[in-house]
Amino acid sequence: MAATSPEPSLSAFSTAAYTPSTTAYTPSTTTQATSSSTSTFNFPTYTSFPPFYTLQPNLTTRARQLELWSTLVTSYCAHNRIFRLSLSSLPTDLFNNTHIHRSLKPADIRTVLDHMSKPESGPRIDWVPSTTKGEQSSSCYVYWKTIGEWADALYGWVDDTGQKGAVLTVYELREGDAVRSKDWRDMDEGMLRKVLNALVKRGKAQIFGQEDNAGVKFF
Amino acid sequence: MASNRRGVGLSAFSNAAISSDQYARHGQQLRTSHADALANQLSVFQAALHNFSLTHAKDIRSNPTFRAEFARMCNAIGVDPLAGSNVKGASASGGKAGSVWAKMLGSSVNDFYFELAVRVVEVCRETRSENGGMIAISEVQKRITKGRAGVVGGGMEVTEDDIMRAIESLEPLGGMFKTQTLGGSKFIRSVPKELNPDQSTVLEVIQVLGYVTVSMMQANLAWERARAIAVIDDLVADSLVWVDSQGEETEFWSPASMHEGG
Repeated sequence: MAATSPEPSLSAFSTAAYTPSTTAYTPSTTTQATSSSTSTFNFPTYTSFPPFYTLQPNLTTRARQLELWSTLVTSYCAHNRIFRLSLSSLPTDLFNNTHIHRSLKPADIRTVLDHMSKPESGPRIDWVPSTTKGEQSSSCYVYWKTIGEWADALYGWVDDTGQKGAVLTVYELREGDAVRSKDWRDMDEGMLRKVLNALVKRGKAQIFGQEDNAGVKFF
Repeated sequence: MASNRRGVGLSAFSNAAISSDQYARHGQQLRTSHADALANQLSVFQAALHNFSLTHAKDIRSNPTFRAEFARMCNAIGVDPLAGSNVKGASASGGKAGSVWAKMLGSSVNDFYFELAVRVVEVCRETRSENGGMIAISEVQKRITKGRAGVVGGGMEVTEDDIMRAIESLEPLGGMFKTQTLGGSKFIRSVPKELNPDQSTVLEVIQVLGYVTVSMMQANLAWERARAIAVIDDLVADSLVWVDSQGEETEFWSPASMHEGG
């Protein structure tokens, strides 16, 4: 036991001082090709906080950490118009910060996404069921708007443009010229299906035909 | 009086008695008239101060510099702008001054600090899971200035001094909120558990250096490994530090730097 050692002065400390970054961290690589944005995403300051990338052992702290990750993933995907995250090809700057040499471990990434998939978290993501039976899912839809909100937006546009009663193809809804300025442009097809199914359930739409040639009629 | 004032001889006694009596009465008269004059001046002053605080209520609310000056003026004349129940130094009006001051200064000053105290409590509660109940005053100030999420124009322009005063006004609530200085920065502690000296030392080190490792504690504080680990375990258990396990050695960081610069 150090009994009567004199009070050490702080100036004697080895200095490996961490100076918090005062500028927004800008990613050095571009995000997924299909949906790059025109402006850089403003990473919140806590993405430069090294412990952010370690799953916290204290459960209270961890709960807060997962909240922050949830917000980050949602706003990052909204900014970059990412509808689906694939674990095998994630954006390189979302779960990593190369400036501080920290990255969230794959297992912890899954923990974050699992947290976001809970109803009480929105849910903000939805795991896409794996095609191989018994295998864990390796991709998820990201709901920066909920399916319900997308349904409202899509139906609202159909109504506003007087297209009720007309039959539109899934292609037109996703990539047509008319939807070029719309938020759901280039939405992942699987997700668009969910949106359309929500409208079908509401009695606002009907889907004809199969897969690529499917058409939708709105009421 | 025609008689010799020095009054030697027998007549001197009666003269002296008459004189001192006269002096006594004159003195009493003077005291009374002085007290009256003072009371009069005081009530004029009270009215002026009351009017002043009403006229400038808007400024008191919106202008931190004005507020600081106002508080300084109050302190200079021995008035607590908040509770209005203490009059420091000699008081001519005694205990009655309590409610008089509160009435004079009007509700504007009290309201402002009350609202600020509510915001401080809110911020502490909202951030508790992140920082274990220890938050830097500078961070509180930033958050309150920014305002409540989703409320337009809901921010209050406040200084750290204002926050300190607001916290002092919470004192009667049982000391739930205390301030502590770590590494030169002031913190507000909103959890009842006090830091023991070892814990305070480690938090101070972290405040200065950003983070700490067990080796750093051993090397620089001359602590045994077991002692360092015990302290850091406590701090983690109390949500006071965040863990970073991706360095060469596990690092323990203060959440105070998490939102800095943002």
